[in-house]
Amino acid sequence: MYIPFFEKHVPSDVIAAWVSVIIIGIVLATYVIKQNKWSVIWEYMRTTHHRKVGTLYMIFGFLFFLRAGVDALLIRSQLALPQNEFWLFQFQKYNEVFTTHGTMMIFFAATPMLLGLMNVAVPLQIGARDLAFPFLNAVGFWLFFAGGMLFNLAFFFDSAPAIGWTGYAPLSTSLFTPDVNSDYYVFGVQISGLGTIFTALNIIVTIFRHRAPGMKLMRMPLFTWASLITSFLILVAFTVLAIGLYLLMFDRMFDTKFFNGPDGDPIFWQHLFWIFGHPEVYILALPAFGLFSDIITTFSKKRIFGYPAMVISIGTIAFLAFTVWVHHMFTVGLGPLVNTVFALTTMAIAVPTGVKVFNWLFTMRGGVLRMTTPMLFSLGFIPSFVMGGVTGVMLSVSAADFQFHDSHFVVAHFHYVILASTILGIFAGIYYYFPKITGYQLNEKLGKWHFWLFLIGYHLTFFPMHITGMNGMPRRTFTYDVGEGLTATNFISTIGAFLMGIGVAVMFYNLFITIRKKERVGSDPWDGRTLEWTVASPAPEDSFQPMPIVKEMDPYWYAKQRGEDLETTDEKLASPISRDSIIPFIMANLLAVLSFGLMYGWIWLAVLAGAGVFMCFIIRAFRDEREQYYGKGEDGHESV
Amino acid sequence: MKRLMLLSFVFLLSGCSDIAVLNPKSVTGQEQAYLIWLSLGIMTLVILVVFVLFAWFTFKYRYTKNKDGFVPTDVKGNLKLELTWTIIPFVLLAILAVPTIMTTYDHSPELQADNREGADKEGTHINVTGQQFTWTFEYENGKTVHDELIIPEDETIVFHITSKDVIHSFWIPELAGKVDAVPGRVYTYEIKDAERGTYRGKCAEYCGIQHTNMVFNTEVVSKSDYEDYLKKPDNQDD
Repeated sequence: MYIPFFEKHVPSDVIAAWVSVIIIGIVLATYVIKQNKWSVIWEYMRTTHHRKVGTLYMIFGFLFFLRAGVDALLIRSQLALPQNEFWLFQFQKYNEVFTTHGTMMIFFAATPMLLGLMNVAVPLQIGARDLAFPFLNAVGFWLFFAGGMLFNLAFFFDSAPAIGWTGYAPLSTSLFTPDVNSDYYVFGVQISGLGTIFTALNIIVTIFRHRAPGMKLMRMPLFTWASLITSFLILVAFTVLAIGLYLLMFDRMFDTKFFNGPDGDPIFWQHLFWIFGHPEVYILALPAFGLFSDIITTFSKKRIFGYPAMVISIGTIAFLAFTVWVHHMFTVGLGPLVNTVFALTTMAIAVPTGVKVFNWLFTMRGGVLRMTTPMLFSLGFIPSFVMGGVTGVMLSVSAADFQFHDSHFVVAHFHYVILASTILGIFAGIYYYFPKITGYQLNEKLGKWHFWLFLIGYHLTFFPMHITGMNGMPRRTFTYDVGEGLTATNFISTIGAFLMGIGVAVMFYNLFITIRKKERVGSDPWDGRTLEWTVASPAPEDSFQPMPIVKEMDPYWYAKQRGEDLETTDEKLASPISRDSIIPFIMANLLAVLSFGLMYGWIWLAVLAGAGVFMCFIIRAFRDEREQYYGKGEDGHESV
Repeated sequence: MKRLMLLSFVFLLSGCSDIAVLNPKSVTGQEQAYLIWLSLGIMTLVILVVFVLFAWFTFKYRYTKNKDGFVPTDVKGNLKLELTWTIIPFVLLAILAVPTIMTTYDHSPELQADNREGADKEGTHINVTGQQFTWTFEYENGKTVHDELIIPEDETIVFHITSKDVIHSFWIPELAGKVDAVPGRVYTYEIKDAERGTYRGKCAEYCGIQHTNMVFNTEVVSKSDYEDYLKKPDNQDD
């Protein structure tokens, strides 16, 4: 349905989006004005503290997750029945909605929510007072925010990209999609990717430089290990993505011919994209693995089984992640030798992953399993992830992949692994760390409803999809015919998707009532094992005063077992100083304005915004926000 | 619970006879389906082991009231066990790798300099061109048809696949796996000994607004019918 508006015909879904955003905006604004919360907003706009930046990551990641989830429900509604004509979601609209669903979920929901958890938990797990570069941390977050908002704007101007989240050339070049739609993809992902790289750098330096005394690398909790290795993956993979997107931007803006024409080649894009894209899968999975390891040990009351093997497995998976990208390109025709080599490397990844699964199982063996919500999500993860893992091995059989590739079988596979690891991991992480973030504990009963609804919905959606795919349904098609044998499985998938939606709604309600109730919990609500449970809930801004001394793995747990307090020291450690600054916010959002100017050809706007960004660099270079702290230490330089 | 899972598995297997990809109508497709079955078999073994251990441990070690205050003994690891679940997967994967390599070498599409290269391959040659949003099939005698593919039964068909604009992917699920159609490149892909019947062909790589409707009809006919078909005029403009 198209509604006439200023001599243009605007599709009704865009109108619906505008109306709902305006209503939500008014409600929020009234709330803020009535409760006089402006100071809180102003505080969070300027904050560089790791817990607050982490909270911002989680809030906006979750917001984008909801939006991408609505996209998913629109997709499933259209596919519920053969030859269906649901609302507007056929042809271009359908292509837009699966593109934004994928892009938002990967770049603006899953990755940032994991970065948020890292931001909150990693410094607390290793006894650091903050991330190594608090200012850079804020820059990283606001770049993600600006990129995500820019990407979201596209929908409101009825120009969402329709090139798939993989943005394959030459379809994504200006030759075939000359409108601004694809530019939103290029610039949105580019800006937020930049922020992700900064945050990864920050995590690496923090873990290497700011561990508490005695916290040797091989005593670190597995979530910290996973975050460290993930950050290295991000550093390499997102850089490759940035290069790919720059080249694509040149092709689109300045008519270069990297990805088409006689000298360019569309396959170049696929190589660049998947050299990023495959490690990205592990960027999403590894932190979740780390979380599950910590949660399973906590709620089994046992230390992790085979700690060194767990660390080595994470490292091996990360290394192999860079050797398998062509398994996304088996049908591209790179020849039998290439296909075989990449089939074998892909199979090899199953080995370290299997080691992890069995070590988790044997951590549970002989323990006492407390079925709390975080533990339920971790338990739900194990069988679900293994099901996704085995279809991964099936896909690695390259000749068989000729059948699976780009069908709903692949859709089933990657949703199985990403939902089981990343999404269940994020849910587990939110329930687990909610006390550290807010000081409140989420309702356990609602948490269990959330878990079961979501898990059942998840299997109901994606299990039948394997069969849909093997019955010949290609991905990214908006309908199918009655006689194709696709109706039943598609219909079941749609029911499952809505069940998952109800599960997330229950979680949303849980968040709402928990925050309203304001029931404080103590520093250690889960009977935890690691350092983060020694600091108050929510984590204070000057944590670890005095600094604990670590003498073993899971130090807090063993101290509790012996009935002792953790040994501490008054010795001062070099620690980062987090000072409020509005510059990161301004800088990142000006970058989005710059992109906006470039996309629409308003060069004056781009130049102005660019000058603004550059001004921020200059101000930052000549102004040290930590200045007032200097001179207060014993010898005049307390901090480095 | 376990019985329920087993039942659903049996139900699943019995349903498989209808699934297009698992029950293909050409030798090429059957070789690929064999790999799917083999990997599914080996992987079912893995799944069962994990599921049994998981169900067992979750049930046996769950918290009950009489375990209040009980602190389990720590186990740091067990080298023998850990080696077991490192080596066994290697063996299973090696078993899977051998037929994978063989079939992949046989089936992988090959890059050709142009439409004529690879013409010496034995079989019936057909040029396939993808273009937003139609498929064009050109036969050996120059006959050119859109969105309808007629091939003879029990013969090797050599497809020369390319694209005129964006990337498409040529796929007839009931016959064999897919091959991308890439602008500026020509791939040869062989489908051996198809059975007589009518099958639906699809574009499997997202190519734009009408991607869903970029389908074609495939008919496998007897050799004499095929000869007759070639003699008929195109009836379609190029």
